[in-house]
Amino acid sequence: MNHNEWLERAEIYALGALDVEEAIQFEAHLASGCDLCEHHLRETREALTLVPRSLMPETPPPAVKGRLLAQIGDEAASVRPARPRPRWLWWGMSAGAFAAAGLLITLSVSLVSTRQELQRLEGQVASLQVELARREAPLALYTAVINLLRDPSTRDVPLRGVGPGAGAAGRFLWNESGEGHLFVANLPPAPEGNAYVVWTAAPGMPPRSAGVIQTDASGKGGLHVYPGRSDHGVEVFTVTLEPSGDVSAPTGPTVLASK
Amino acid sequence: MGAEPGHDPVLLIQQIARGDREAFERFYNRYASLVYTLALRVVHVRSDAQDLLQEVLLQVWRQAGSYSRDRGSPEAWLLTIARSRAIDRLRSVRRRDRDLLPTGHSSAPEGGGKVEGRMAQSDARLTLHGALARMPEAQRTVLEMAYFDGFTQSEIAARLGEPLGTVKTRIRAGLQRLRELVGAKAPEGLS
Ligand SMILES: [Zn+2]
Repeated sequence: MNHNEWLERAEIYALGALDVEEAIQFEAHLASGCDLCEHHLRETREALTLVPRSLMPETPPPAVKGRLLAQIGDEAASVRPARPRPRWLWWGMSAGAFAAAGLLITLSVSLVSTRQELQRLEGQVASLQVELARREAPLALYTAVINLLRDPSTRDVPLRGVGPGAGAAGRFLWNESGEGHLFVANLPPAPEGNAYVVWTAAPGMPPRSAGVIQTDASGKGGLHVYPGRSDHGVEVFTVTLEPSGDVSAPTGPTVLASK
Repeated sequence: MGAEPGHDPVLLIQQIARGDREAFERFYNRYASLVYTLALRVVHVRSDAQDLLQEVLLQVWRQAGSYSRDRGSPEAWLLTIARSRAIDRLRSVRRRDRDLLPTGHSSAPEGGGKVEGRMAQSDARLTLHGALARMPEAQRTVLEMAYFDGFTQSEIAARLGEPLGTVKTRIRAGLQRLRELVGAKAPEGLS
């Protein structure tokens, strides 16, 4: 690819308007240490400060300042040292899709991977993109996952492969609100006509279906569970192989289980 | 916009990083209106914009130590954080609105239905001499849709019914204009 195309992407990335696939590729390019793009990104961000500066200024109510000062007063006067970050994430993108993408990579594959190794992970990124591209709104999904991760009450539950799923592995991010995200790896695609159904259960309660998870040719897959099912006290997570995705209780063999 | 003595924003961030609450208050006084104005333009709801202002400034308090001046101005740093958080909030509202639509309407494009209603409530206005007001409307529209409404270039093309190439050209022309206003040059070879 002609390097000018990277510079063009740098501009649109600064504006936050790259589509997700291009954004991930651009992140990987930045991570490879391209000073030219980093410089251009920085200059574009400086120029973009003129955009909100073009709005008629609004004055926030004084109560906000009061709340903030009270809030920081409650925190220790000494600020926790910031965690070191790779420089391309320096901008502290709070929950930008791109930081989320990095986390997704780390989690989904559950293999060793630090963000510094991002450029080596492009192939794995591609398989994630396959899953995400099937979705209506990949950015919304990224945001949902990062919000889960950000919530200190979210649990990270490992799932191990059993029976026909031996060799597979999974992680379930689960929040008491009933929202969660399941990542699986090394789970072969379900046989023709069958489906992997994901179940959640509270102790002493029958399992409830959280949906169907599909895996790609490399055995990776993801399922986002949106809140609203009024699940409380869920402790047990399983995935079973079923004759259809439409079963109301597990009937087939378990392929992944927590604990 | 010149820095008053003792109010150099870089210095303020360094002081904040050491836990200086007075410096934080000066930083707030300097930037709260800008952050709030941006947040309000993105989310259109005053209470949400106030929450965002609080979150963003709290993030400044906690992460001031990660700021480094050779990577950009305090204002660009702050606005990048603020815009990113505001867009996250906007997208989660859109997702919620979409999830509330009865099934069968779930294929409506993101931002459809109620979200448009929210946008219609916008009372944000441009200052007469601001960079946006002085830009051709076609360029201004795409920049606003991206920066304030959180749409990607493909989403903008779909909404405007224009080819993606046209949208990219307009975005880049608009950005070029902004860069000229701040006196930055395009890198060699990039027109
Ligand atoms: Zn480059």
